Amino acid sequence: MKERIEIVASGFGGQGVVRLGQIIGETGVRQGLHVTMLKSHGTEMRGGYVRSQVVLSEEIIDSPMCESPDYFIALSSAAYERFKDTVPEGGLILYDPAFVEKIDEALPCRQERFPAKELSVEHFENPLFANSLVLGRVARLVDVLDKEEMLESLLEVIPKFHDRNREAFRLGYEYGG
Amino acid sequence: MEYRSSVITSKYLRSRKIPSTACSGCGLGLNHKIVVQAISELGLDVADVVWGTSIGCAGRQTFATWKGDGFAGTHGRVYAISRGLRVALPPEKKIILTVGDGDAFGIGLLHLIHAARSNADMTVIVNDNLGYQSTGGQYGWTTPQGSHTDSSPYGMFEHNLMSDEMDVLDILKGAGATFLARHVAMDGQRAVETVKKAILNRGFSLIHMPYPCPTNFASRELGSRNQVNIYRWIQERAAPLGEEKENTVWATGIWHDASNSRPEFSEYVHETVEKIRRTGSI
Amino acid sequence: MKRFLETGNFAITEGAILAGCRFFAGYPITPATELAEAMSLRLPQVGGIYLQAEDECAAMHMCVGAALGGMKAMTATSGPGFILYADPYGWALGCETPMVVLNSGRVGPVSGITGAPGQGEFYLMRYPTQGGNFETICLAPNTAQECMAMTVEAFYLSERFRMPVSVLADQLITDGFEDISVPENEDEMKEMGFRTWPREICRGPEFYPASDALDVPPVVLGHNTGALCSDWTPTEEGYDIEEVEAHHKHAYRLIYKVRNNRDLFSHHYEKKYMGDDPDLVVVSYGSPSRVVNTAVEKARSQGLKVGSLRLINIWPFPDEHFDRQCKYLCVELNWDGQLVREVQRAAPKGSGVHFMGTCGDLPTTPDLIETFEKLLKNEPIRRKGWVLEEW
Repeated sequence: MKERIEIVASGFGGQGVVRLGQIIGETGVRQGLHVTMLKSHGTEMRGGYVRSQVVLSEEIIDSPMCESPDYFIALSSAAYERFKDTVPEGGLILYDPAFVEKIDEALPCRQERFPAKELSVEHFENPLFANSLVLGRVARLVDVLDKEEMLESLLEVIPKFHDRNREAFRLGYEYGG
Repeated sequence: MEYRSSVITSKYLRSRKIPSTACSGCGLGLNHKIVVQAISELGLDVADVVWGTSIGCAGRQTFATWKGDGFAGTHGRVYAISRGLRVALPPEKKIILTVGDGDAFGIGLLHLIHAARSNADMTVIVNDNLGYQSTGGQYGWTTPQGSHTDSSPYGMFEHNLMSDEMDVLDILKGAGATFLARHVAMDGQRAVETVKKAILNRGFSLIHMPYPCPTNFASRELGSRNQVNIYRWIQERAAPLGEEKENTVWATGIWHDASNSRPEFSEYVHETVEKIRRTGSI
Repeated sequence: MKRFLETGNFAITEGAILAGCRFFAGYPITPATELAEAMSLRLPQVGGIYLQAEDECAAMHMCVGAALGGMKAMTATSGPGFILYADPYGWALGCETPMVVLNSGRVGPVSGITGAPGQGEFYLMRYPTQGGNFETICLAPNTAQECMAMTVEAFYLSERFRMPVSVLADQLITDGFEDISVPENEDEMKEMGFRTWPREICRGPEFYPASDALDVPPVVLGHNTGALCSDWTPTEEGYDIEEVEAHHKHAYRLIYKVRNNRDLFSHHYEKKYMGDDPDLVVVSYGSPSRVVNTAVEKARSQGLKVGSLRLINIWPFPDEHFDRQCKYLCVELNWDGQLVREVQRAAPKGSGVHFMGTCGDLPTTPDLIETFEKLLKNEPIRRKGWVLEEW
């Protein structure tokens, strides 16, 4: 694997952004990797955001900051606007169109539209499982993350609704064929 | 503090600190004798008591008088230290604190209230010389209104914890103290009996004990260092509870006795922790 | 060994328990609250006691009391709470009471920004109380794993030096999640380099010997040793005394027990790319040092002759690392420059000692590398409109 893989997830409070980071990090720990996961909160005054910064590496990790994330999971337009320019060429932005309406086409990185909220409502009549869909998608996109370990981490960190979370994770993983 | 050598002094006290460096005529020795006499009459040994003190006149003069283990806290914090110590000591060890009025009712009041609130087993003797005397004589929180001190040259005009029908013991009762009493230094055996009950309460006990300061308080308020005057002045303003007169400032006796009615802090904490350790819940 | 994705606060809690800590008193304050919460959960499981205090001053005094009663005790706070330790910290230094104090730095002064990292207490950790005539020991870890190690080490040092020992972290380290390995038995602890020291009891009659010796057991009350401890100048037996000569003996011990036994902790530092006498040495501690290490590594790959000196033992200040005349850059999480003053003092005359400060957020790798380049080319350094002072 690459020397270090940087994954940023950001949205607004209450969306489970910290949980997302935690589950990705937990997967790394289960796979024997070194992991850092910083959670930070922007001020509410300025269209606030919550951000998780995950670094995965086989080596001991020096900087825990994601200065040029390989993956950016954007779950609000404020978060998208704030961090989109940090993603380098070769990086990937995964965004939920329910929250991120306007896309900056000029960015050098790939951008993948993933309607997690919509899929969650469609399949479970509830937006609650959007993050499990996102995690399934992340497991598919991030080579280094093991699908099964990720699912186990998800089920451990979120002790409720195991069946639906498992199903949501599968839908996310298999999305787009 | 003028102690004559006796069985009690040689058994319980360190000769190096007795006689002490207190001013001539200081009434603190009377309070100290009352406490040691009570310990003796309860048949306690030196090893049974850890003696703590504050700073100021009451703290400094009583520090290291006890033959056994002793400590002095920084100003006002001895109640917080004692709560930590209480948890670490075996329950049968008595913690007796001799402190001053500034320490207990001023800088340490918050910690005192929390010691009472938690009902931590300690006996607090508040030796009240009616102000801050070791710094030269400034008014405190129980100084009678109108008193002249170095910081109230026109007479002490603030409302305080003993003015306007207010009583500092009310605060401590409200906070949950299980034994509260008041005596003046000249109460002799009556006070000894009260201190014995305070020590026997497995919980937070406090006795407020005003004593005469001829050097600073008396010289400013009464215009004389003649100890007879200040002793009489205090005596005139004290009367047993139920026998108060118009000029009574200090009604003496047991003011509130709910001994052993509430769980003692450290025992309760230890029992609860043990239960959590065994069963995972309370 | 068990591995977790957990916070620095979790790591500190586990470290304290491994070191034998069975008493914690604290007061809720961001970002040390989660440490208090973790202690309240974990201590009862091992028969230990967590108490929530009425304020930080009471919290550390409760630790003083518990330590005087023979327990290993710890308290933790952030800067605005740390200033309330001034009173008990002095008491514990003077009475030589072992305990561990953690400060997780945030942005100040006063309440400042609660949820962002800061390093405004560099000097406060050296002088946590008034009066002088003492040395302090402070360890500054930069990862969650090291938080655990340094907490264990702080307990060890506190017993051997019989004094409070502080651990200085910051919001990023205590709140951030990382992979953490927790040893499960003594062999694993040894393997990880964890040292422990049992609580012993001073039997007197010299409770405060005029000596710089290590391993004088601390005063413990309740064993009827006749032990005395107070806030006044003590005689060797513990009586209060107002004599300069007695105070001189007391102060000698408080200062020189630490100064003369520094080899016990002076190995706590990290050097990277320092073998070839780099032209620029970047000095840091705590969370900024992690970005510094990344930046220095990148700078090396670009051919810049830069090295990283990360201090873990920050007090007493390790002057011995600054014996070479070269350029130094101090990277700190404050805008006033604190560590830089100490480096300026310790470095040989003629060394260029420079400062780069950020606050609330870590410096970025590109900014650091740009600063390295400018310094190496003798150009003035500026960053994002912030005029950096030349020291």
